[in-house]
Amino acid sequence: MRLYSLSVLYKGDPKVHLLKAAYDVSTFNFFQRSSVQEFMTFTSQLIVERSELGSRASVKEQEYLCHVYVRNDGLAGVVIADNEYPQRVCFTLLDKVLDEFSRQVSKIDWPSGSPATISYAALDGYLSKYQNPRDADPMTRVQAELDETKIILVRR
Amino acid sequence: DEIGLIPCPEARYNRSPIVLIENKLGVESWCVKFLLPYVHNKLLLYRERKQWLNKDELIDITLHLLFIQIYFIFCRKELILSGTLNPLKDLHLGKLALTKFPKSPETWIHRRWVLQQLIQENSLPSPVTKGNLGAAPVQRIHRIVQEEMNVCSEAAGRYPSNYNAWSHRIWVLQHLGKLTVKVLLDELSSTKYWVSMHVSDHSGFHYRQFLLKSLIGRTVTDSNVLVQNQMVNEQNPSLQKEESAGAEAACVKEQSVDLPCCLEKELELCTELIDTYPGHETLWCHSDETLNNSHHSPATSNVPQAMDVDGFNESRSKQGYTQETKRLKRAPLQDSFGPQMEYQFIDKVLSTCRDADQARFATAYRKWLVTFLGQ
Repeated sequence: MRLYSLSVLYKGDPKVHLLKAAYDVSTFNFFQRSSVQEFMTFTSQLIVERSELGSRASVKEQEYLCHVYVRNDGLAGVVIADNEYPQRVCFTLLDKVLDEFSRQVSKIDWPSGSPATISYAALDGYLSKYQNPRDADPMTRVQAELDETKIILVRR
Repeated sequence: DEIGLIPCPEARYNRSPIVLIENKLGVESWCVKFLLPYVHNKLLLYRERKQWLNKDELIDITLHLLFIQIYFIFCRKELILSGTLNPLKDLHLGKLALTKFPKSPETWIHRRWVLQQLIQENSLPSPVTKGNLGAAPVQRIHRIVQEEMNVCSEAAGRYPSNYNAWSHRIWVLQHLGKLTVKVLLDELSSTKYWVSMHVSDHSGFHYRQFLLKSLIGRTVTDSNVLVQNQMVNEQNPSLQKEESAGAEAACVKEQSVDLPCCLEKELELCTELIDTYPGHETLWCHSDETLNNSHHSPATSNVPQAMDVDGFNESRSKQGYTQETKRLKRAPLQDSFGPQMEYQFIDKVLSTCRDADQARFATAYRKWLVTFLGQ
């Protein structure tokens, strides 16, 4: 089971901006890595564009699962994982990351932000730590009680 | 240490299509159609006397690729047999090929051929004294086995449920690793983390089943050996033989104690993974299989090993021992390790899970338990 990317975006009106992202493409063939990363950036943005404010969803794209959480205030997070990685842990991670991000980066900077201008460095650490869901979040079963009814599995 | 194809439909610059970055070799795709005829022509010149190669096949790139691949492997076999190519170098090239084509059956088949050559080479008598020869070949084989385990592991990681990689791994253990208890237990512990991180990999779990079944088979064999030694002792009592029988008894005792423990640990692993990662059919199947194996294993019943020997002493024939084992197999399983625990587990899962797939698997598992175990 594997996490491939973790991104924070802002769902503005009309456009979606990428604020910050972390990628782990180490399991891909060396010469595929940059195109895989591009694909993930593009897909994350697209998914947020198509999601409503205040929603969570898991979208299947090729052999990957993209878990997206768009908050009511427009801040959004996307985790791209494989189909073995537990869904609940992804949403736990997204909750945590967006919460921390919103406390560290001022709201004024969101609509106009970009990876170059935003200073939030924790994404790489989270992506790495959560590669093993049991190490990262031993209480995952408890978290299942929250919000699970809102998760929609969209298979394409 | 890695090879790959770089999608690049046209040559934009007048430069070589070979790209080398950080010890990884890439080939730009535009050059492939020029490369193939060139390579093919070279091979043709080399094997001039073969007439069956005609122009149509040259034009058809698909046949071309297949031909070159088979030819390539054929040539390499010849080079190894003639002593020109070192088999270890060929294994390294194979490993490289597997980074791009982790499933390729031809690569795995060729790999087994090369390993067989190495085994034969290793067992050839040498002019060196027995003392000197003693250490090196064993160590060499051990290193080769370890390397094969790594290659299989990497290939298994590059492609989900890579049956070819895992069956190669089994083959290596059977032909190079001698399936000793130590090797089997080592493999069980070294693959534990891997399967925990690849919970839908059927082939990975199937490998663990193979290890457990081999362990069970091993225990029965060693018990037979112990019992046969006892028979020898009774007929020809001598201190030396008793000592060796004693040592064997210690070994067998160790193995028979480990086996129920192993099976129980495996079931625990299943339970833990099913709980943490709901909705993976592989884990439920693995649970089925493990319980199945434990039910048929002679060592997991309540009766200690000593009774087997007593039973044998009474009947004094191998036949008698076999009958004893059969009787033990039919004995009821201990409560702490068997259906009761499983029913409790299923009930817990059904009452707490929200995953539709997980509920379906749990229900099916319960049905299987009822029909199979008849309890």
